[in-house]
Amino acid sequence: MIFSELYGVYYNTVAKVLRTAVCRPLPKDELRTIIMQNAFGESMLTIEPSLTEERWQLLRQDGTTPICHIPIMPLTLLEKRWLKAICMDPRIRLFGDDLPDFPDVEPLFRPEDVIVFDRYADGDPYDDEKYIRHFRLILDAIRKQYPLKMDVQNRKGSVTYLVMQPDHLEYSEKDDKFRLIGDGSRYGGTVNLGRIVSCKPYPKPFVPDPGKRREKINRTVTFELLDQRNALERVLLHFAHFEKQAERIADDRYRVTVTYEKEDETELVIRILSFGPMVRVTAPQHFVNLIKDRLIRQKSCGL
Amino acid sequence: MAYSELIKNFNRIREYMREFYVYGFKSREEYTKKSARSYDDERRRVESWLGDYMQFRQTPDGKNVFLSIDSRISRHNPLYKAWKAKSFTDGDITLHFLLFDILHSPDVRLSLHEITGEIDERLLSFPEPRLFDESTVRKKLREYISEGIVLAEKCGKTMYYRRSDSPELPDTDLLDFFSEVAPCGVIGSYLLDKTQAHDDRFAFKHHYITGALDSEILCTLLTAIGEKRTVTMETVNRHRDRTAEKRVVPLCVMVSVQNGRQYLMAYVPRYQRITSFRIDYIVSVQPEDICEEFDALREKLRDMLPHMWGVSTQSVSEHRMEHVEFTVRYGDDEMHIHRRLEREKRCGIVERLDANTSRFSADLFDAGEIVPWIRTFLCRITEIHFSDQALEEQFRNDIDDMMRLYFPEGGDTP
Repeated sequence: MIFSELYGVYYNTVAKVLRTAVCRPLPKDELRTIIMQNAFGESMLTIEPSLTEERWQLLRQDGTTPICHIPIMPLTLLEKRWLKAICMDPRIRLFGDDLPDFPDVEPLFRPEDVIVFDRYADGDPYDDEKYIRHFRLILDAIRKQYPLKMDVQNRKGSVTYLVMQPDHLEYSEKDDKFRLIGDGSRYGGTVNLGRIVSCKPYPKPFVPDPGKRREKINRTVTFELLDQRNALERVLLHFAHFEKQAERIADDRYRVTVTYEKEDETELVIRILSFGPMVRVTAPQHFVNLIKDRLIRQKSCGL
Repeated sequence: MAYSELIKNFNRIREYMREFYVYGFKSREEYTKKSARSYDDERRRVESWLGDYMQFRQTPDGKNVFLSIDSRISRHNPLYKAWKAKSFTDGDITLHFLLFDILHSPDVRLSLHEITGEIDERLLSFPEPRLFDESTVRKKLREYISEGIVLAEKCGKTMYYRRSDSPELPDTDLLDFFSEVAPCGVIGSYLLDKTQAHDDRFAFKHHYITGALDSEILCTLLTAIGEKRTVTMETVNRHRDRTAEKRVVPLCVMVSVQNGRQYLMAYVPRYQRITSFRIDYIVSVQPEDICEEFDALREKLRDMLPHMWGVSTQSVSEHRMEHVEFTVRYGDDEMHIHRRLEREKRCGIVERLDANTSRFSADLFDAGEIVPWIRTFLCRITEIHFSDQALEEQFRNDIDDMMRLYFPEGGDTP
């Protein structure tokens, strides 16, 4: 059962409380700190009195516990089935060759049970040994915080050399690609892993130039939406992954403001165009002009 | 009943969270047609779980509550928190920790009588010790056997219980990644809760998180698919004002990474056809008998996929197959357009007609599904043809409507 108290915040928080209380009496202020750090906003109102008033007979008045061992719950069947399923995913090898094995357990799903039908076709090559090697090295460099030197193929096919202090990996499910985000590169602090030709630790001291730090520039676009052909639901689900605000301005009209990163502006233009006349961009003017420009050019195509 | 931030049933909160996250423009009055108290309780719960993401806006219609989450910034799906709010009794939690303390190692094998005796002994130090009778302890042990965390072994006439083995958890990077991208990722989040605090090394772009709310339904469907079972499911319609019961053979799950929707592809014996069901419209799933034709039906679906742009297996025009083709033109510095066609097409053929022109064509069950994608090429479409004339007319009319929207006076048009 996926919805079970066994996985709940309360059980996990109490396990953390007992982890300390097994070793030494737990003062009340420390009990409160553990609850605040691990549970929900209002959990204090329940967990603390339940323990201190001995409705949950796990902690005595003096902060000691009848529990003798550090609480550890075994993996549930559901957890094992999920782990077994993800071990069949082609991306799993990026994380190492030593994978958990549960011979007596059926996977929760097999690759053929779940089809992603609109993923782009030129995703990263997860079975390519060189790609796997690069991925593992990059992940190690992020963990241990050391710089990397790389040869990277650009869009035009030529290879450029760069040194970078890696920060994290970004994965796009739509593109099915990983990008390395870091500091110090001349090319904006973002490298597509699929374009890396070679990658090695950079052996010298490296201080990224603060001027070349990757800076996120956020922009907003506001559009009005006409709720016909189920447009309201389609649009709001489509833009759900952005920070956004929606408000109703008439019975069948809504105003939506989406915050996006500047580098994704072209993508956002075509995504808005895909909704046709159900969506009209109202601000900012430069975004309106981007749409207008495309429409003017379309009109000149003689369709 | 007094308010609690924990819940027994997930379905009601599932709806509220979807409303707060996806829509977020409804006022309290719109939610409270059924029960004002219910709305206030659910809003308070969501605020307790996801306070950092909850925002409010005052409008002439009242105060609107919404969840604002940029999934590119939050490294873990915040909606998973709702799955960690299942209610339980005082006895449940006490017994849980006592049982696993007594069965602290897989080497410890004890009978029910011995376990109950140990529980009594541990609770003796409380002024008013709670009593757990053998039937309560047996019931809890049975529950844990079905969860796979306790094993029962019979020796002679006596049943002995022990905890199951605990294999080492995989690397946290692996769990961080797959808990966000794999189906039923909330289970990965449960596993992460067992690990030490660590730095997150993955961020996610184009990351739809709403599917998390449907994890239980998805999990039940995937289990039914694995066991090749028929299911009876209760669904709601788009306006969520009517429910229906359907008996279907689930064949696979189809997921969109461009809008976050998840669909069940299933054979409906009553209509003798394979069709799609939005998983967020499924309220409950009851597994039934094993379907002997499962493999053949899945094969049939596999043969249909090259003619499906999305999940539709039937057009509005009622023709079995519809043809669509369009041609785009691009400049010498826009060769990426041809690559876009190749990369983004899900089926069909892309042909390069000359150095600056490419054509896409496909035969689809439902050509209406491809229209939004074709619109993304607006500014360079030189020819378009649908075998469904009405669809073609609508496509052209939509462009005219867009022109009118952006050039109301016709002023800026060339």
